Amino acid sequence: MAMLAPALVRALGPKALYVVALVPAATVAWAVAQTGTVRSGGAVAETVAWVPRLGLELAFRMDAFPWVMVLLVGGVGALVLAYSAHYFSPGEDGLGRFAAVFCAFAGAMFGLVVADDLLLLYVFWELTSVFSYLLIGHDPAKGASRWAAMQALLVTTFGGLGMLTGFIMLGEHAGTYRLSEVAADLPGGAYLVVALVLVLLGALSKSAVFPFSFWLPSAMAAPTPVSAYLHAAAMVKAGVFLIGMLTPAFAADPPWQQVIWACGALTFLFGGWTALRQTDLKLMLAYGTVSQLGMIAIVLGAGTRTAALAGAALLAGHALFKAALFLVVGIVDKTTGTREIYSLSGLGARRPVLAAVAVTAVASMIGFPPTLGFVAKEAMLAAFWDGGPWSRAMLAVLVAGSALTVGYGLRFLWGAFARKPEVDDCGFAPVGAGFVAAPVLLALTGLAAGLLAPGVDGLLSPYAEAYPATGHDYHLGLWHGFTPALGFSAVALATGAGIYLATRRTSAWRSVQLPVKSGTVYKGLLGGVDRLAVELTGRTQRGSLPFYLGVILVTLVLFAGGVLVFAGPWPVGLKPFDTPLQLAAGGIIVAAAVAAATAKRRLTAMVLTGVSGYGVASLFIFHGAPDLALTQFLVETVTIVMFVLVLRRLPAGFSERPLKKVRRFRVAIGVAVGVVAAGMAYVAVGGRTAEPVSVDFPELAVSYGGGHNIVNVILVDIRAWDTMGEIAVLLVAATGVASLIFGRDRLMHRRGGSRPAPPATGEHVTWLSRPESDGSHQAIILQVVTRLLFHTIVLFSIYLLFTGHNHPGGGFAGGLVAGLALAIRYLAGGRAELNAAAPVDAGKLLGTGLLVSVGTGAASMLLGGRVLQSAVLDFDLPVVGHVHFVTSTCFDIGVYLIVVGLVLDILRSLGAEIDRHRESDALPLPEKEAA
Amino acid sequence: MTPNLVYVIVVGVLVGAGVSLLLERTLTRIIIGVVLIGNGVNVLILMGGAFGAPPIVGDGPDADLSDPLPQAMILTAIVITLGITAFLLAMAYRSWQLLGHDEVQDDDEDTRIIGLADRDEGPRAKEDDAEDLPNPVYSCEPGKERR
Amino acid sequence: MTWLVPLPVVVPLLGAALTLMMARRPTAQRTVSLTALAATLAVSAMLLALTVTEGPQVVAVGGWPPPLGIVLIADKLAALMLVVSTAVTLCVLVYSIGQGAADGDTETPLSVYHPTYLALTAGVTNAFLSGDLFNLYVGFEVLLVASYVLLTLGSTENRIRAGTTYVVVSLLSSVIFLSALGLVYAATGTLNMAQLAGRFDALPDNLRLLLQGMLLLAFGIKAAVFPLGAWLPDSYPTAPAPVTAVFAGLLTKVGVYAVIRTETLLFPDGRIGDVLLVVSLLTMVVGILGAVAQSDVKRLLSFTLISHIGYMLFGVALASEAGLSGAIFYIAHHITIQTTLFLAAGLMERRGGSTALDRLGGLGRLAPVLAVLFFIPALNLAGIPPFSGFLGKLGLLQAGVDDAGPLAWAVVAGGVVTSLLTLYAIGRVWNLAFWRTPHPDMPTAADEADGSTVLLPKLMLAPTFALVAFGIALTVVAGPLFDLTSEAAGDLLLRTPYIEAVFPDGAP
Repeated sequence: MAMLAPALVRALGPKALYVVALVPAATVAWAVAQTGTVRSGGAVAETVAWVPRLGLELAFRMDAFPWVMVLLVGGVGALVLAYSAHYFSPGEDGLGRFAAVFCAFAGAMFGLVVADDLLLLYVFWELTSVFSYLLIGHDPAKGASRWAAMQALLVTTFGGLGMLTGFIMLGEHAGTYRLSEVAADLPGGAYLVVALVLVLLGALSKSAVFPFSFWLPSAMAAPTPVSAYLHAAAMVKAGVFLIGMLTPAFAADPPWQQVIWACGALTFLFGGWTALRQTDLKLMLAYGTVSQLGMIAIVLGAGTRTAALAGAALLAGHALFKAALFLVVGIVDKTTGTREIYSLSGLGARRPVLAAVAVTAVASMIGFPPTLGFVAKEAMLAAFWDGGPWSRAMLAVLVAGSALTVGYGLRFLWGAFARKPEVDDCGFAPVGAGFVAAPVLLALTGLAAGLLAPGVDGLLSPYAEAYPATGHDYHLGLWHGFTPALGFSAVALATGAGIYLATRRTSAWRSVQLPVKSGTVYKGLLGGVDRLAVELTGRTQRGSLPFYLGVILVTLVLFAGGVLVFAGPWPVGLKPFDTPLQLAAGGIIVAAAVAAATAKRRLTAMVLTGVSGYGVASLFIFHGAPDLALTQFLVETVTIVMFVLVLRRLPAGFSERPLKKVRRFRVAIGVAVGVVAAGMAYVAVGGRTAEPVSVDFPELAVSYGGGHNIVNVILVDIRAWDTMGEIAVLLVAATGVASLIFGRDRLMHRRGGSRPAPPATGEHVTWLSRPESDGSHQAIILQVVTRLLFHTIVLFSIYLLFTGHNHPGGGFAGGLVAGLALAIRYLAGGRAELNAAAPVDAGKLLGTGLLVSVGTGAASMLLGGRVLQSAVLDFDLPVVGHVHFVTSTCFDIGVYLIVVGLVLDILRSLGAEIDRHRESDALPLPEKEAA
Repeated sequence: MTPNLVYVIVVGVLVGAGVSLLLERTLTRIIIGVVLIGNGVNVLILMGGAFGAPPIVGDGPDADLSDPLPQAMILTAIVITLGITAFLLAMAYRSWQLLGHDEVQDDDEDTRIIGLADRDEGPRAKEDDAEDLPNPVYSCEPGKERR
Repeated sequence: MTWLVPLPVVVPLLGAALTLMMARRPTAQRTVSLTALAATLAVSAMLLALTVTEGPQVVAVGGWPPPLGIVLIADKLAALMLVVSTAVTLCVLVYSIGQGAADGDTETPLSVYHPTYLALTAGVTNAFLSGDLFNLYVGFEVLLVASYVLLTLGSTENRIRAGTTYVVVSLLSSVIFLSALGLVYAATGTLNMAQLAGRFDALPDNLRLLLQGMLLLAFGIKAAVFPLGAWLPDSYPTAPAPVTAVFAGLLTKVGVYAVIRTETLLFPDGRIGDVLLVVSLLTMVVGILGAVAQSDVKRLLSFTLISHIGYMLFGVALASEAGLSGAIFYIAHHITIQTTLFLAAGLMERRGGSTALDRLGGLGRLAPVLAVLFFIPALNLAGIPPFSGFLGKLGLLQAGVDDAGPLAWAVVAGGVVTSLLTLYAIGRVWNLAFWRTPHPDMPTAADEADGSTVLLPKLMLAPTFALVAFGIALTVVAGPLFDLTSEAAGDLLLRTPYIEAVFPDGAP
C-alpha cells in the first residue's frame, strides 16, 4: 500500500489520504473481529520461518495488551490520515512521500506491537525509527528539521542497538528469542543486570524518558499530524509498551524496576515543569508527552496487577487525548498562523467546538472525572497506595507530577482559547467539518471510555492476569467510594489549579531552568566524536607512501623478528656453500646491490642492479638451473633496455636526499628486514623434513609429460595453469604500459584502439641518445649489421622454443630472445626499423598468444581430457622424418607469442612513442634535463 | 636440508638493499628496489630446493638432479616481475611527463585532514545549520505558518 | 561435471584475448565481454548447485594427480563467492559501458578496459578456485596487475599519484606472499593446500607460527586491515566510478577469503585468534572514525569499506561455526552493498557534478530515483533491519556473545558502536547531499536539455537498480543462505570434506 500511495496522491491530491487511511482502518476492523478471543484471555498467533539459524522468525502473537495497541495504532492512524487530508494544501511538496512513509510507518508499528520474536520486534523497532527520521525531515530545506531528524534517528538507534545486544544476550542464554518463552530461562548475576540495562536503554530512549528526553521536543519540527501520531500516540509508546510486555518477566530482577522508577520519576517531574514553562502550544504538548511517558513507564514498571491495569488504561487514555490535543493545535496553527500563547486570543469564543474538544481532552489528561484519564489515575493511585514503602514514595512523585500536569493543562486551555486583554484577537481562516472531525472523535472516545469504565476493565484485565491475583481484585471504575486514591486525585487537582493560578500572576518562575540539559550532552558527544575522528584519522592516515610501507615493514620485522628471537629453539647446522663458485657470485651480488642502493645517479644505480641480476643468474647456473639462468640473463637484459629507454628522458641524478634522520630510519628498516628475511630463510630450510613432491617428477616428466627438461615440463604441463595466469599478467602489463604512455593520445580514441598501427616506414629515423643525431651514417651501418643478424637470432629463438621440452629453452627464453632481436633493430634504426621488423600490432600478437595457450587447454577439455591435459604424438613425415610432438608445445607457442608481444609493446610505447613525445616537445633534451 | 650460508647472506643483502630503496620517494629508486627484492626472494625460493645437476632427465641419475619445482616457481616470478617493472617504468615516465619529476607525492585530502587535526577542528562537511536550533527548546517566530 | 570447474577462469581469459584482438571494434568487444561474464555467472551458479548437492568439485589440471599438479576445487565457500562476485562484476560491466557511452569514451580507452577487466575477473575467480598455494599467488598477481591498469586508466595526474601508492604497496604484499611461499615450500616441500594441511600439523610450532604470520601479513595488506590498510582510501576513490566499485566489492574480499581459507585449512588451532580479535576491533573503529572525518562521498565509502572488513575478520577470529558462517554471509552482503553504494556515488557525481559533500545538495528532489538507489543500500550498510547488513551483523554478534571471552565482548561492543557511527556517517551524506538545498554549481536539467549530456543514463541506472534488488534478495533468501553459509563454515572447520575431496584415499 505504501508503494501505491505516491501514485494515489499524484492522482487525487490530499484527498488520497482518505484512501490511504483505509489501511489502518482495516487493521482496526480486523482487531475488533478478534475481540472475542482476546477478551477470553486467548491470543491470535501466526508464525512463518525466516532465518531459523539466527532464531529470527516472523512470529506474531496478539493478546490483550498488543490488542489495545493495535486498536490505538490503527484507529489514531486512520483518523490522523483523514485529518491530514485537510491539513495539507493541495500544492504540498512531497505529499506523496509523506503518505507512503506514514502508511509504511503504521505498518511497522503494527508489526512491532504484535511481534512475538524479540529480534523481529527489533526489526520493526528500527523501521519505525527510520520512518520517523524521514517524517521529521519532511521539510528538509530547514536545517532544524534535518538536525532534529538525525538526532531522533541517532538517539533511538543508539538505544535500539543496546536493546538488540540485550536481546541477544537473553536469547542466546535461553536458546529462544520468543517473547513468550525467553523469560522461562533467565541467566543470573552481572550477565542479567547488563542485559536488562541494555534492553531498558532501548525502551527509555524510544519513549523519550530521561536521559533521552531531548530528542522529542526537537522532533516537533515535523508536521503536526506526524507529531500527533508518531510522537504522541504511536511510536513513543513503543518503549513503554515494551516495558509493559517485559515487566511480568523481569519485575523481580533488579535493576529493572529501580532504573525504570528512577528515570520515570525524573522525567515525569522535569517534563511537567518544562511543559509549564513553554509559550509554544506544540512544545507544551511535547514536554507534556515526555512527562506523561515517564509516568506510564513508572506504572507499567511497577509489576502489580492493579498497576498493570492502570498502566494499560493510562497508555490508551494518553494516546487518545494527546493525539486530539495535537490535532487541535494543528488546526489553531493552520488557521491563525501561530502557536504562541501570547499572540493567541479570543479563540474560545469564536471556535466553541474546537474549545470543547480541547477541554474534554485536557480533562482526560489531568484526570478529571468522568474521563478515561480519571479512571486510570484512580487505579494508578490505588495501586501505589497498596504497595510497600518504595511504591508509597513513588506515589508522592505521582501526585506531584499529576499536579504539574493539571497546571500546564489549564495553562494550555488558557493560552489557546482565553481572551487576553493585552493581546488583541487574532483573525483566522474558516475550519471545515472534516478538519475537526478527527479530534472530536478522539476526545469523545476518551470520554466514552471513562463512562464505560467496566467495559474497558473487561478488555484490559486479561493483560493484568499476567500477575498473581491479589486478595481483592481492583476493577476500573468511576466510583470506588471515598478511597485514599480519590483523595490524592483531589489533592493533585487542587494543587494543580493553584499552580496554574500562580503562573498567571507572576512570570518570574519561568526563568527557573532545568538542572540537566541532556540535549547539550548529546551535542557535546557528537562534537567529541567528530573531533576524535579527525584527530585519529590525522594520525593514522598520513597519505604518504613511505609511511604506509614503513608501517607494514615494521609490523613484519616486529612479528617475524619476535618469533625468530623468542620462539626458539631453531634447527642448527649451516654449510658455507655447495661450490666455491657460489661464493664468488655471492660476493659480486652483495657488492653490486649495496652500491646500487647508495648510487647517486640513475644510470649507475640501474647498471649496478643489472650486475647483481647477472650475478644471481650465475648463482642459478651453479645451483644447477640452466633454464632459470638463461631466462634471468635475458630478463635482466630486457630490463636494462627498458630502463635505458625511460631514463633517457628522466634527469640523470636523483633528487637530493631528505633529512639525515629519515635516511637513517630507512636504512635501519632495510637492514632489519634483510636480517629477518635471511633468518626466516635459514630456519625454514633447516626445518624441512618431508620429501618434496617433485621427487617423482623426473620419470613422470618423460612418461606422462613426454619431455626430458623437467622445468619446462612443469611450466607447460604439470603447472601449466600457473603459466596461463602468468602470461595473462604479461598481457595485462603490456596493455597497461600502452595505456599509460598513449593515455594522452587522442588518435587512440579515433582508432578505438590503444596501440598505434605501425606507421608507414621510411620516416625520419632517430638515434637513441640524441633526437637530431649527427652520426646517422653510423646508424645506417648498424642497421645493415642488425638486419643481417636479425633473422639468425629469430631462427635461434624458434629453435629454443621447440627444443625447450628436452633441453634448456622453451617459450619464455625463445620469446625473450626474439624480443631482444627486435630491440636491437629498434636501437639501431629507431621505430622505422622496428616497424619494418615487426609490421604487426602488439595487441594482436598478445591476444593471439593468449588465445593459443588457453585454447590448447580448452581444446583438451573438448577432446574429453582434463583442462590443459597434453598428449604425445609420434609420427613420420616425409623430409622431416620422425617427429616427436607433444601438444603442450602449442601452449608454449602461445607463451612465445605473448613474450614477443610484450617486448614489442614495450618498444612501441617506451621506445617509439616516447620518441614522438620528444620530437613534439619544443625544448631539446639538454635544456629539459637542466630544467 | 642444511641451509647454504652464501644464499642466506645474498637473500639478506638483496632484500635489505631493496627495502631501503623501496622507502625512497623517487619512483626510479623504488623500481630498482623492487627489482633487487625480487632477485632476493628468488634466491630465497631457490634455497627451498635441493642443489644438484641440471634437472634434465638422461644426463645423470635422477637422484642427483636439483629440485625443479622451485626453479619453475622462480621462472614464473621472474617473468611477472619483468611485466610489472615495465609497467612501473611507464608510470615513472608518465609522472615525469605530467609533473616534471618522478617523486611520489602525498595525498591532498589526507593532508587537509591532518591540517584540520592540527587546528583542532571537526570535519569540514557537517550539519552547519544545526546551530540555528537552540536546545532543548524549539522556538520559531510567531506570525507565519510552521510545521 | 567437474569439467565446469576451470571455466570461470578460462572463459574470461578467452574473452580477454578476443577483446584484445578486436581492438578497433568497440561494439564487438562489448558483446564478447558481456557474453563471457554472463557465461561465467551461469557456470558459477551451476557449480554452486553442484557443491550443494554433490559436495566439493575437484579437477586436477592437466590430469596430473595431486599433489603433483595443480588442483582447482570449488567447495561451498568458493562457489558462493564465485556467484556473488561474478554477478557483481557483470552489473558493473554494464554500468561502465553505460558510463563509457555517456562519456564519449574520453576516459577509458576501451581496448584497454575490456581485456583488463576480464583478466581481473579471471584473477578473482582463479583465487577463489585455486587449491594450490602458489597458484593462489598467481591468481592474486593477475587480478592485481589488472587492477593497476584499471586504476591508472586515462593516466591523469591524480591517478598516477594514487596509482603509485596502490601499486607499490600491493607489490610489497605480493613480495611478502611470494617469500612466504618460498618458505612454505622450503619447510614442507609441497604447495598443494590439502597436503599442506597435513604437513603443517607435522611442523614445529614456532616454524608454523612464522609461516602463518607471513601469510596473514600478505593477505592482511590485501584485505586492508588495520594497520596495513591505510593505502586504500588514498587510491580507490580516484579511479573511475565503476572501477572503484568493483575494487571495493571484490579485491579486499579476495584477501579476506584467502585469510579464511588458510586460517581454517592450514592453521586450524586458533592460536592467534586473540590477535585477530584485536585487529578486527581496531579495523572497525579506526575505519569508521576515518569515515566520519571525511567530507567526500567516495572517500567516506572507502573508509566504511575498511571498517566493515573488521566484521568479517571478527567472524574468522571467533573460529566458531556461527562466527565463520556470519563472516561468510557478511562477505556476500558486503560485496554487493559496497559495490552498489560506489555505483550510486558515481551517479551522484554525474548528477551533482562532484562527490564533495560541501558541493552537493538537493539530490533528493532533483533525482528521486537516485535517492532511492542510494538510500536503501545505505541503510543496508548501516545494518538497519530487515536488510542483509543487519542479518550479517546479527549472526556475528550472536557468535560473539556465545564466545563470551572478554575480547569477544569488547569486539561486540565495538561492532555495535561501529554500526551506529556508520549510520551517522551515512546519514550525514543523506542530510547534506540529498536533503539540503541544491548547491549553485550543480548541473541543472537545462544542461541535459541541450542534449550535450545525459545526467543519468539508463544504462547506468539499470545495473545499479539490479544490484539494489540483489541486495534486497539477500534479505529475502537469508534463511537458506544462512543454512548454506553454516554448512560451508562447518566444512571449513572439519577440514576433512576439503582434504578428502582432493585425496579420496588419504593425503600422502
